[in-house]
Amino acid sequence: MRQKAMFIVPYALWIVLFVIAPLVLILYQSFFNINGQLTLNNYAEYLTSAVYLKMTLNSVWYAFLITLVTLIISYPTAYILNKLPNKQFWLLLVILPTWINLLLKTYAFIGLFSRTGTINEFLQFVGLGSHQLLFTDASFMFVAAYIEIPFMVLPIFNNLAEINPSLINASYDLGATHWQTFRRIIWPLSMPGVKAGIQAVFIPSLSLFMITRLIGGNRVITLGTAIEEHFLTTQNWGMGSTIGVVLIIAMFIIMFVTGEGKRKGGQH
Amino acid sequence: MIGEKPMAKNVMEFQHVSKQYDDNVVLRDISFEIEAGKFYTLLGPSGSGKTTILRLIAGFDHASAGDIYFDGQRINDVPANRRQVNTVFQDYALFPHMNVAENVAFGLQIKGVKKAEIKQRVKEALHLVQLDGYDNREITAMSGGQRQRVAIARAIVNKPKVLLLDEALSALDHKLRVQMQTELRQLQRQLGITFIFVTHDQEEALAMSDQILIINDGKIQQSGTPVDIYDEPLNHFVADFIGESNIVPGIMKKDYVVSINGQDFDCVDAGMKPNEKVEVVIRPEDLDITTVEKGKLIGTVETQLFRGVDYQITVIDQRNHKWKINSIHKTKVGAKVGITFDPEDIHVMRYNETEEDFDARLDSYEEAD
Repeated sequence: MRQKAMFIVPYALWIVLFVIAPLVLILYQSFFNINGQLTLNNYAEYLTSAVYLKMTLNSVWYAFLITLVTLIISYPTAYILNKLPNKQFWLLLVILPTWINLLLKTYAFIGLFSRTGTINEFLQFVGLGSHQLLFTDASFMFVAAYIEIPFMVLPIFNNLAEINPSLINASYDLGATHWQTFRRIIWPLSMPGVKAGIQAVFIPSLSLFMITRLIGGNRVITLGTAIEEHFLTTQNWGMGSTIGVVLIIAMFIIMFVTGEGKRKGGQH
Repeated sequence: MIGEKPMAKNVMEFQHVSKQYDDNVVLRDISFEIEAGKFYTLLGPSGSGKTTILRLIAGFDHASAGDIYFDGQRINDVPANRRQVNTVFQDYALFPHMNVAENVAFGLQIKGVKKAEIKQRVKEALHLVQLDGYDNREITAMSGGQRQRVAIARAIVNKPKVLLLDEALSALDHKLRVQMQTELRQLQRQLGITFIFVTHDQEEALAMSDQILIINDGKIQQSGTPVDIYDEPLNHFVADFIGESNIVPGIMKKDYVVSINGQDFDCVDAGMKPNEKVEVVIRPEDLDITTVEKGKLIGTVETQLFRGVDYQITVIDQRNHKWKINSIHKTKVGAKVGITFDPEDIHVMRYNETEEDFDARLDSYEEAD
């Protein structure tokens, strides 16, 4: 028993130092104003200010859109990958971009999307003229979805791979068409993967700031952008922490909503 | 033969069906008929091709060559979901996100049966497999034996013409398996549905079936009633696979006389060429121990095991053949004993005889009698 307890120590230490302590510090910080006085004003301001409300709605709305677009692209991708003969190889290709630094990928897109970038050069070449691509909602969504896709594909792929093939045969055997089999067997059984994917994409999307700035041109101010501003520009750490706390609460809500609820079977 | 219109009473017919995956030939030119309302067993060791036959019937796989008929219609290209066949899978394949009633109702819902009727039929099906009142149980809360019953209910609720059972009892413990054998047999009689049961367990096959097809090496080795197959195995494989056997080489001196170990014995087989080399099968329970003087064969007792109902004895004869004997008579290891048997206990098999040739030969000399 004592030996077993010893093994837990490094993990417990890790969690206390790098998970619990930062959370406590953020919470603590959020009760101080810019002059270091203990106050609830940060929360009062956050909850009453139209600016922060709009920012929150914006963040949630864009995170929702990014998640939706990512899911629509990733589910069929994961489904098809699963049917391919060398599926592990193709999965590796999908995951490969995550090995490249996020900032590098973002800069690469600036190169592609800018006025003199590859895409505009091509458009001019075929006679369609140059267009404003960078700093648009579309390009922001595109890049955000591009970056998040592997995180959505992976859990869905793993989940689909786990589904017992004889369940699918059983469905056909009982008279179901391919579509009925998908809707009534494959889709419900892949829900855990979909939920895990949504968690992996929605939560980070709430606090995006680099892509909103570099690709979105700060047209959309999200909570992530606001935190960055408060910590680095206005030096209002209290307010930044407050937004951080709000994000953490939002994350717990998402985890709870998409978490392992009681099984919901059938279509009744 | 090819393209011959199948007989009406046959619910199912395979005509020269072959199946191969890449270079791996799984079924070699198989032909057989399945009569409506009977209990069939496809029996063979693993890798024999028996499960492939089942998958071809269910529509999960497609024949590389040959024709499969169902109710007189060629069904090679009919997809699985449009066949009047249901399957009980080896791992049951119950839908884990649905409860018992939802699983059983699935096939009926797909067919668009009215809700009231679905409810009634699910209730009846659960009653047939003795799971009354389990409607709302989760699958994960059911034991292996109960899941087996749900799987059967889910299949029979659709009233298929043919029910396929893929190694359906192999995951159950011995006692439950024996009980389910009896129940399955009863269920089959009660419903009048044709059952096609796949197993590698010869005892199971003998106990349950009207007809057994013995499959090995992608071919049907022999088909017939359990008694036919047990008493008159066609070849070495069948004799060895079904029950226990003593198989020794022999020479057919003339009709009704076979020579074993250079000694001539009366037998009940005929129709071979004079002095044809054959194999002789004698079941252990047909042999008995006696004194050296009375013995037709003489040997030394090598082992003796008490098994409750009888003794399992092995005797080595003078030509060094080992004989398995099940006897109620006790002997001693190392003792010199005689072995006795009756002419009808001897079964003579020709090398490479087909089922058709075997039947023809049997007819020829039985008519002559």
